[in-house]
Amino acid sequence: MKFSTIEYVIREVFFSFRRNSWMAIASVSTVAVSLFVFGMFLVIVMNMNKMIDTLESQVEISVYLEDSVAQAQIGRVEEKIASMQGIAEVRFIDRDTALARFRERLGEQQFLLDALGEKNPLPNGFEVRVHRPDMVKTAAAAIGQIEGVEVVKYGQDVVEHLFDITRLIRIFGVALMFLLAGATLFIISNTIRLTVIARRKEIAIMKYVGATDWFIRWPFLLEGVFLGCIGGLVAAAVLWGAYGMITAKVYETLAFFPLIPAHPFLLYILLVILVCGVLIGALGSTISLKRFLKA
Amino acid sequence: MIEMKDVSKIYENGAVALEHVNVEISKGEFVFIVGASGAGKSTFIRLLFREVLPSDGTLVVNGFDVVGMDHGDVPYLRRGLGVIFQDFRLLPDKTVFENVAFAMQVIEAPRRRIQHSVNAVLDIVGLRDKYKCFPSQLSGGEQQRVAIARAIVNNPALVIADEPTGNLDPETSWEIMDIFKRINGSGTTIVMATHDKHIVDTMKRRVIAIEDGHIVRDEAQGVYGYEV
Repeated sequence: MKFSTIEYVIREVFFSFRRNSWMAIASVSTVAVSLFVFGMFLVIVMNMNKMIDTLESQVEISVYLEDSVAQAQIGRVEEKIASMQGIAEVRFIDRDTALARFRERLGEQQFLLDALGEKNPLPNGFEVRVHRPDMVKTAAAAIGQIEGVEVVKYGQDVVEHLFDITRLIRIFGVALMFLLAGATLFIISNTIRLTVIARRKEIAIMKYVGATDWFIRWPFLLEGVFLGCIGGLVAAAVLWGAYGMITAKVYETLAFFPLIPAHPFLLYILLVILVCGVLIGALGSTISLKRFLKA
Repeated sequence: MIEMKDVSKIYENGAVALEHVNVEISKGEFVFIVGASGAGKSTFIRLLFREVLPSDGTLVVNGFDVVGMDHGDVPYLRRGLGVIFQDFRLLPDKTVFENVAFAMQVIEAPRRRIQHSVNAVLDIVGLRDKYKCFPSQLSGGEQQRVAIARAIVNNPALVIADEPTGNLDPETSWEIMDIFKRINGSGTTIVMATHDKHIVDTMKRRVIAIEDGHIVRDEAQGVYGYEV
């Protein structure tokens, strides 16, 4: 593209902003709101994923032995577990200790256990820690194969529950995002269409004198990209501020809560938001121009 | 310059505008297309710069196969043509100079050449001293002269005019025709649709008469017709 053409394109975009300033503001706001919500969901989902990771890494593997396992065999099972790869610690929990712990956890509802009388329904078992969180699953499976082991648990209930919640948020987020993307596209393409209609005489003349489609398209495309880009910047700025505030608050009150630190995580999110804004802007103007360039 | 073979144009609503039309126009000719309103004149004109496509037949304009060409090549066909309309079609918020320069800007001509060429064509149409005026400050004849300047600024091989004098009084019309004569004198082919009998009869150029979508007369030094 020639320099004089670039100058022409930029001038046209500038004029168009002035001519339709209200519509431009409306589009920028819509883009900003949509992208902010989009960014929010990204942040939430990614934080949930991180939380799942943390929880998985913290969980112990609980191994319960069959009642038939004799005292002598217990030591062999322990050795077997300890010799497996990635095992950090194996601790034997006999059934009495287990019952005592259970009683403690029940607190005021301890009387429930009185119904059992002298019988202890809990099995002997081990608490096993692994070196790395991604080893939990394989280690648990391997332990389950050992003779005399009845059940192996590693808090998969909590993890699976979190997965469910994340999946729900993800589905909801994606649905909302599609809706918002549709609304944003609609608003942007409408804004550009106002410009196109205001200039349709000019476009017709451009075509009569032999302007290429791309020459005609550039100013409009750039206008859409600008609208999307500015909206994206606003959304990014607001999200940046909001995340900073939330993390500060959370660390104050729930220090153990594993939020992803803003840097560099948020930068990627902001980049994604900006790119989305640009894409939506470009797509919006392409849609509104399509009809005018056909003939 | 123009080769129209067995061209028909039927619009989507079923209206038959042209039927089996055969015309050949050579370089440097000055041709009037005459006929009543709705006879197919406008369609004939619009086919030439590919504003509409023939439903049938072949059409070659200035070396371009109008029917078979890619959409992306249409701008290059039009760069070799100058189109003039009855309603001038100037941009109201641009000056005379800018209106003419616009035609060169959009095909990305270098700035220095724009300056030079625009001044030259404004000389031809006699509006050099009004280059700063806006269209609203000009008379109808002057506006049409600006439109002509815009049409010829890129040195087209063919000028297509659709009722260029339709909105003008007789005297002004003659000023426009004088300009056309001069343009034609420099070798540019001119195809002009009109129903101004006086102009056609006085100019004594080739006349193609269209009636109900058919060419009913094609004479080298024709007149408008007998029953108008």
